[in-house]
This record gives sequence, C-alpha cells and structure tokens, in this order.
Amino acid sequence: MSTGHLSMEQLIAVRDGDRSEPSYATAHQHITGCSHCLAELDRLHQVRARLRALPTMAPARSQFSVVRGRVISDRKQTRLRALAVVGLTAAAAMLIATIGHDLIQPTRLDAEQQIATAMTSSQQLEVALRQIHPDERVIDGRTAQLVIQLEDRIAALDAQLNAAASLDREARLQREAQLWQQRVGLMNALVDVHVTRASNVGL
Amino acid sequence: MDSISLPNADAVVARAKLGDPVALEALYTAYSTPAYNLARRICRTTEDAEDVLQETFFEVCRSIRNYRGDGSIWGWIRSVTSSKALMRLRRNKYRDTDDLTDELAPSRAASHALRMDLETALARLSETSRAVVWLHDVEGYTHEEIATQMGRTVSFSKSQLARAHQRLRGWLGEEALA
Repeated sequence: MSTGHLSMEQLIAVRDGDRSEPSYATAHQHITGCSHCLAELDRLHQVRARLRALPTMAPARSQFSVVRGRVISDRKQTRLRALAVVGLTAAAAMLIATIGHDLIQPTRLDAEQQIATAMTSSQQLEVALRQIHPDERVIDGRTAQLVIQLEDRIAALDAQLNAAASLDREARLQREAQLWQQRVGLMNALVDVHVTRASNVGL
Repeated sequence: MDSISLPNADAVVARAKLGDPVALEALYTAYSTPAYNLARRICRTTEDAEDVLQETFFEVCRSIRNYRGDGSIWGWIRSVTSSKALMRLRRNKYRDTDDLTDELAPSRAASHALRMDLETALARLSETSRAVVWLHDVEGYTHEEIATQMGRTVSFSKSQLARAHQRLRGWLGEEALA
C-alpha cells in the first residue's frame, strides 16, 4: 500500500473473497475507485483461468503393471510376515507348553521321580533286612522296643500309602512321595538297628 | 478438476476394497492422468512425477479399505497424490532454485522481449511456490489445507501465493491480459 495501491496478498484476498484477511473490506472498497488495482485484479482472475486451462499432462505409459507387481509383492511379504509371526507364536506356545508345563508342575515330575527312587531304596533295604534274618536273632528289650516302634511306624506309613490312593493325582503324588521318603528313612533306621545290634554282639 | 467422474464409482470402489484387481485397474485408468498432471505440476521432472504416480496408486491399492467415502474418490486420490508430491518436494528440497529465480526475475520482468508464456513461467517458479499456486488456484485447496499438507502456517501459504503471483506478473507482463 506504500504506492497507494493494493498489495498482491490483498488483491488475491479480494479475488478469492477471503474475508479472513484483516484488510479485506478496505481493499474491496479501494478496488471500486482504483482503475490500476482493478486491472491487476482482472489480471489475477485471468492468470487463474489460464492456469486452469493449461493442457493436462498424461503419463507416457501406464504404470499399473508395476503398481500391481508391487502390491502383490507387498501382500506376499505381509503374508510371510504374518506366517512368521504365527510360526514364532506357535513355537513360543510349544516352548511354553513344554517348559511351562515343567515350570508349572515341577513338583509332579519331582514327586514321581522321588517315589520311584524311594521305592527302589525301600526294596533294597527290605532285601538287606531279610539277609540279616532279624526274626532269628536275640535282641535286648531296649532294641526290641525300638524295632517295634520302627515297624509300627512303617506299618502306619503303609496304611497311609493305601489311603493316599484315594486322593486325586496331584495330591496323591505329593503325599506318596512324602510317605515313601519317610518309609525309606524308617527302613534305614530299622536296618541300622539290626546291623548295629549284630555288630555289637559280634555276629 | 474437482469432479472427475467414474461410472459406477461406488461399485468399483466397493470391489476395489475387496482387492479386486479389475476394480483397482479401473481406478488407475480413471484417475492416473489427473493424478499425474497434479504430480507433474508440483514436481520438477517427469521422473519425479512418474514416481509420485506409482507411489500414489500403490498407496491407493494398499489403503483403499481406509477410504470411508466421506468425499469423492477422486478427492481422496488427489489428496494422496498431493501428499506424495509434497513429500517428494521435501526430499528434493536441496534442488529448490528459489534463490536463483529471485536473481533472474527482475531482468526477466524488465524486458518484454523475454516475456514468457504461462507454462514456462510456471515451470520457472520455485517448487514450493509452484505447488502452492497449483494447489490453491487450480485444485482449489484452501490456505489452511495447503498449510496442513506442507506442515507450514497459513500465512506461509498466503505469502508464497502472493510472491508467486508477483513473479508471474513480472514474467508474463501484459501477456496475461492477452
């Protein structure tokens, strides 16, 4: 406006009817009395009309086959990624199922192993005890009382083992492992008592 | 260029959303030329415009499911095109010759003998100015929309447009009235 005429920005605002421009009303009023700015406004209208009338440029060739190729390739990659994710998920699930099973139920595997080990030990102790022929030996009253106590406790354990059979699997395994370990301990003690007595009497 | 029609556009779009390659090709056939024209008006070279066209329709094929039908399908494709073209401008920004045109403009404007036609003058604008002129004056985008697409302010868009028209005025001389 330093020359007394509208700036290009004001002229464009008038051309576009842009009332958000602060000086729109003043500029619009100026146009009506200024032939120079009116001519410039007309020129702007014409430039826009000529821009819109410029010939449309078309691509030299269709690129759809390239686009389609890229889309197919992209879909394949997406599918592969999805399969990879599914595969990894399945592998992870199997890993969790295997390791997790052990992690979740370590006591069950431990219990089964403990029972097997304890039963073997118990059987070996039974054999060892029979080889001593305890019924054929003379023992003192104190030892006899100890043997009776041990045998009573073993009998009680056997009764508890029979009773444990009615429990559900998890509880039964836990209970049997515990009882078999106790039984091995008692059998060891019983064998020790007989062996000790035998060695004390020089047999 | 606001209303480029495609017969049975809704049906074609519906099939395209299901991944029908025939429908996708129909969209390409109907809109690749106006999309290329827009890209070519914004980009400096035909190679860039062809890349933008390819990127545009790759995006259209991938994302047509996201088109909700709020506006015309061409309006959506056009916004994808202008977005891709402006991205290309940003990537090529180092090539922008705005300063060069600033230096050459006065001498061009001073000589009627060197008066250019509109096509040449438009090509001579900086990429940013040309993009604003085309998006605003031809495609009809508002300054707010241009500012959003360019990640700039409304006043930036307005000043770019005024600056571009100032230069066109100088380069075209009286020809604009012819």
